[in-house]
Amino acid sequence: MERKMNIRTMPQVDHLLSGHGACAGCGMAVAVKNIMRILGENTTVYVPASCLLVCSGMYPHSAFDVPFFYSAFENTGAVISGIKAGYRRQGKDVTVIGIAGDGGTFDIGLQALAGAAERNEDVIYVCVDNEAYMNTGTQRSGSTPFGAWTTTTPVGKKIKGKRQFKKDLMAVITSQDVPYAATLSIAHMNDFVMKVEKAKNKKGFRFLHIMTPCTSGWKTDPSITYDLANLAVETGMWSLYEIEDGETRITYRPKEMTPVSEYLKLQGRFRHMGKEDIETLQAWICKKWKKRYCPTNPETERTEEELAYNGDHCEGV
Amino acid sequence: MYEIRFHGRGGQGAVMAAQTIAEAAILEGKQAQAFPYFGAERRGAPVMAFARIDDERICIKTQVYEPDMLVIMDESLLDIEPVAAGLKKEGCAVINSRSAPGDLDLGLEVRCISVDATSVAIEMLKAPIVNTAILGAMVKANDFVRLESVQQAIINRFGEKLGEKAGRINAEAAKIAFDRSQEGVCRGKRPLIKKRLWLPTWQETPPGVALGKEERVGMKVGPGSMSQNLTGTWGTSNPLYDQDKCIRCQRCWFICPEGCIIRKEDDLMEFDLRYCKGCGMCVKVCPKGAITILKKGVKQ
Repeated sequence: MERKMNIRTMPQVDHLLSGHGACAGCGMAVAVKNIMRILGENTTVYVPASCLLVCSGMYPHSAFDVPFFYSAFENTGAVISGIKAGYRRQGKDVTVIGIAGDGGTFDIGLQALAGAAERNEDVIYVCVDNEAYMNTGTQRSGSTPFGAWTTTTPVGKKIKGKRQFKKDLMAVITSQDVPYAATLSIAHMNDFVMKVEKAKNKKGFRFLHIMTPCTSGWKTDPSITYDLANLAVETGMWSLYEIEDGETRITYRPKEMTPVSEYLKLQGRFRHMGKEDIETLQAWICKKWKKRYCPTNPETERTEEELAYNGDHCEGV
Repeated sequence: MYEIRFHGRGGQGAVMAAQTIAEAAILEGKQAQAFPYFGAERRGAPVMAFARIDDERICIKTQVYEPDMLVIMDESLLDIEPVAAGLKKEGCAVINSRSAPGDLDLGLEVRCISVDATSVAIEMLKAPIVNTAILGAMVKANDFVRLESVQQAIINRFGEKLGEKAGRINAEAAKIAFDRSQEGVCRGKRPLIKKRLWLPTWQETPPGVALGKEERVGMKVGPGSMSQNLTGTWGTSNPLYDQDKCIRCQRCWFICPEGCIIRKEDDLMEFDLRYCKGCGMCVKVCPKGAITILKKGVKQ
C-alpha cells in the first residue's frame, strides 16, 4: 500500500505567499497555507468576505499565486459550483476550493453550501472556523460557543456572553450524504495533511471544517495559538473525525478529558465566566463527548403492539 | 485649526488616543473630530489615526496630510515609514522613546517631546498599551488642552469601556508621562520619501501574479504580489534557531503562518526574518527547544 502523506513528505511550494497581512499568530493563515501546499498549483481559490480576503487580497496586491476569485458573502457554494462547471466545459481538470469563514458558512452561506452539497458538485469547501465574525470586529455567529464574549453578546449584569451552544455544522452537512467530510485541527499536523490529501483525491463534494484560533477575537497571546488548538481537542470543545460515504471514523481519541476550565482560562473572551456557566458548558461537552467517543447501541425498535397502545386508543379484534 | 496625526501599531490604541484628545478638547468648549485611517489593519501593523481641533465648526473631512502635531507611538516606525512627511515647520512631534529628543532623527528639525511611554504603561497598566501615557506627553507639547481635561476625558472614555478602576489608572499614567517627558529639538538627517496619497489605478497596476511561471521561483512574484509587503517590521521579537538541537521534525515549518521558515535540502530550517511577525508559535511547537524567541534590539 502506498504510504500516506505526512508533514515530512508533503509538497513544499507555497501558494499562499509570505507577506500576507494576517495578524501574528493567526490560525487561519496556518490552515490555508498548508491546504494550498497540498493542493498544489492546479487549483482555483474562491474566498468570500472574510479575514482571508482582506489579508491576502487587498487591492492592488494578491497573496495567492494561483487564480483567486471573490464575489458576494453568501455565494461560496454557488460560485465554486459555477467555476467548476466552467472548467468542465473547457475540458480542464482543476481543483476548485472555496475557503469561507464560520460566518460565511454557519449563517450567511448556509443555503448556497447546502445547495452545492445536495447537487454533489465536484468541489472542496473549507470552513475556517474562528467562532465569530472576526473580520468585522468580533460579532456573534452560529459557531460562537456558550458563554463567549462578543460585541453582540456583551457581558452585562444579568446576561454574560452568548447563551446558545455551538451549532453542529458537520451534522447539517453530512445529513446530505456528501462523499467526504472531516474536521481538522492545526495542532494535529499529520492528521491534517492526511485529510486534506484524501479530500484532494476524492471526487464529489468534500467538506473540511478547521478550528483556527484567533488571537485578536479570542483575546489571547499570539504564541499560544497552537496550544489552544490542541487544548480544544483535549477538552472536547473540538473533536477530530471524518465521515466517508456515511461511515464515521474517529481519527484522534483523547486519552482522558481535560476540564474545560483549562481551555477557558487562557482566553480573554471567557474571562467573565462564573462557576455556574462553566458547569453548564462542561455538561454540554460531556454529553457531546459521550455521544462522540462512546456511542451506545441504538434503541431497539418498538414492537407494533406497543406502538398501537401508546398512540391512539385502539381495541383489539 | 490644529491638526494631529497619530502613527502607531495595531493594538497600541492610536484610535482611542485620537478620540480621547478630541473629547478633552470638547470638554474645554472647543470643536473636535477624530477618526482612524480606513484599512485592513491587523495587530502589529503600522496604523494611523487623525484628530482635528478648532474653535469653530470643522467642515473638512479628509485625512490629515500636513499636521501641526505628530504623535509616534512606536519608535521603530521611524525606520519603516516616512512618518514625519508633511509635518509643518512650526509644528511639534511627540514620540515614545527612551532617548532624549536631541538623539532622535525624524527627518525634520522640529520641537520634539520624548517620553518612555512603554515603561510607564507597563508600570501602571501591566501591558504595553501606550495611548494614555502618550496623551500625557501631548499635553506638554501644546497649550490648548489642560492635563485635567485630558484626565477627565480618559476617565470618561476608558471608564465607560473598561470599568471605573481602569479609567483612574489610565488617567494616572497620563499624569506620570506628563512629568517624565523631555522637551528638545530633534535632528533632521533622515531622508523623507513622500508617500503616495492614492493607490494606483488598474492601468498602473503591474501584472504581478500574471507573470510567467519561471519568474515565480523563489517567490519572487514581482510587483503586485504580497511578497513585497515585508511584514517583518510588524513584530517586536524574532526567533533564534539552533541548528545542532534540530531533529528535522518539520513541525515549525508546518505551523509558521507566514511561511518564513524555509526547508533546506537537508531538511534543516532557514528563517526568512523579512516576513517574521514574531508570533512565537514555532517556539511552542518545537519538541527539542531548538528555537528561542528574542526581543528585537536586545543584545545577547
